[in-house]
Amino acid sequence: MNARPAPTAVIADDERLMREQIAAQLREAWPQLVIVGDAANGREAVALVQSLAPDVVFLDIRMPEMDGIAAAKAIGERAHIVFVTAYDQYAIDAFEQGAVDYLLKPAEPERVARTCERLRERLDGKPRAMDALLAELSERLQAGGGASRGYLRWVQASVAGVIRMIPTSEILFFRAEDKYTRVQTKRFEALIRKPIKELVLELDPAEFWQVHRATLVRVDAVEQVSRNLRGNQVVHLRGTDEKLEVSRSFNHLFKQM
Amino acid sequence: MISNELPTPGSEARGHDARAGGAAPSARPMHSIRHGIVVAAWGFFDWLAVVSWTKLVLVAVLAMVVAGILQHPLPALLLILASVIIKIVAGGKRRAELTAAEATRRADLEQLERTVLEARMQALQAQIEPHFLFNTLASIDQLIQTDPPRASKMQRSLIRYLRSAMPQMRDRARPTLGQQIDLCTAFLDIMAVRMEGRLQSAVAVPEGLKSAAFPSMMLLTLVENAIKHGLEPKAEGGRIDIGAEIVDGQLAVHVQDTGVGFAPMGEGGVGLANVRERLRALYGDRAELVIDLPPTGGTRATVTVPYEVSAGRATVQ
Repeated sequence: MNARPAPTAVIADDERLMREQIAAQLREAWPQLVIVGDAANGREAVALVQSLAPDVVFLDIRMPEMDGIAAAKAIGERAHIVFVTAYDQYAIDAFEQGAVDYLLKPAEPERVARTCERLRERLDGKPRAMDALLAELSERLQAGGGASRGYLRWVQASVAGVIRMIPTSEILFFRAEDKYTRVQTKRFEALIRKPIKELVLELDPAEFWQVHRATLVRVDAVEQVSRNLRGNQVVHLRGTDEKLEVSRSFNHLFKQM
Repeated sequence: MISNELPTPGSEARGHDARAGGAAPSARPMHSIRHGIVVAAWGFFDWLAVVSWTKLVLVAVLAMVVAGILQHPLPALLLILASVIIKIVAGGKRRAELTAAEATRRADLEQLERTVLEARMQALQAQIEPHFLFNTLASIDQLIQTDPPRASKMQRSLIRYLRSAMPQMRDRARPTLGQQIDLCTAFLDIMAVRMEGRLQSAVAVPEGLKSAAFPSMMLLTLVENAIKHGLEPKAEGGRIDIGAEIVDGQLAVHVQDTGVGFAPMGEGGVGLANVRERLRALYGDRAELVIDLPPTGGTRATVTVPYEVSAGRATVQ
């Protein structure tokens, strides 16, 4: 049997102090382990795995450019992965259930020793695939980060010469006017370049309804729907005196009202 | 004998008489009969109050028929007449009771709504992020090994941060802009140690504005946002500038970063939505949060609130 070359590791964390801490603890718990590289983000970690082919990668979960979960996905089965986190409850639960190695910052020396012990046992085997777990985790990390479900939540508009981000929750209606689309809030109006037909696709259909080829109205701002002299439905919105006509093809929206 | 006092199975039907054991044979039964009549009368009254008119009429007709058979229609007629009058009066009482109950319910509901709103406002206040806390403690732990003086300095920053961010602390007095700046400075000092060269920051707030009233934790949310969504995603980091000025009699406080800018579809709206909701709850239409993208890049968040000098201390600390 050939003597195995010394095991190698890469440490990825966006904070240098944390990288140093893990390195120091590893030197203590596993003196034979050679730390061959440091990465400050997920992308660097993936590149280092590619060029240095370490046995083990320690991956912080929250990193710029590419987070630890995405990096683990990219690394796949090319290295044994140990996740490092300060606090990510759902990730920790998932690691526990999937028997994935992880360390909590700041890590207890016994915990580091136990992790090293397990790694030593596994080093001769192939790193395990965790595609399903990672896919689930990245989804949950996204979901935990905000209410975004891919809908447009902010509109970029030019107000008095400054580019302003207007949250869609403040917008009462969008209306096509010549080359632009007018955005109306309670306080001000602004012009954007995005046409109504693009907005329809990007906005949350539960938040805005199209009532006309040229008009999108905020659903929960609708105060009442009446009829004008020509017999067309007209929408009244809270927060503005402007009344917006409903074209016949959208009449069905207000059948119940 | 105690056994005398206890009703035996066979004696139960005879009620008071059996239990009285013949000690006061005349007074007790009289009392219990009177009591029974009173209870029955009130029961009848309550029944009248709730019974429907149709049912009452049916019962009245039935009573008239029975009285007719017994050939004593007059007492029955009187009783029915009395019942109708009682029903009218009792009905009014009942309606009054219902109205009172409804009013109580509505008052309870209003109280509940207020409580829910308060609870929600508290939840909306930025929380001490566990991720931040544990990461900071891990950094201090590492510095204790390698650079004790810096560890101590960072720990003091953490204490300063916790002092103003703890719920009990921040709910106590009317918060001033100065206190909120202190909180942000403590936070930024910690983050500067952790992010090293990736974070620079500067605060430019005139001394005179530090005593102005400013909602608690709001500025910190903007600073946290600037780091989390602006600078942290950027490998090389960037800088944060905090400033305050009076614009048209309003206090405008801004947090500007040189980060990656703003993703219209992305997350990061939650903290800002909370700030907006709190401003609305605290000031109605007299306050606002505006997010601009400066031509130089990054993001600038400005909170504008009515300018009020916080009562009490003129200076902070």
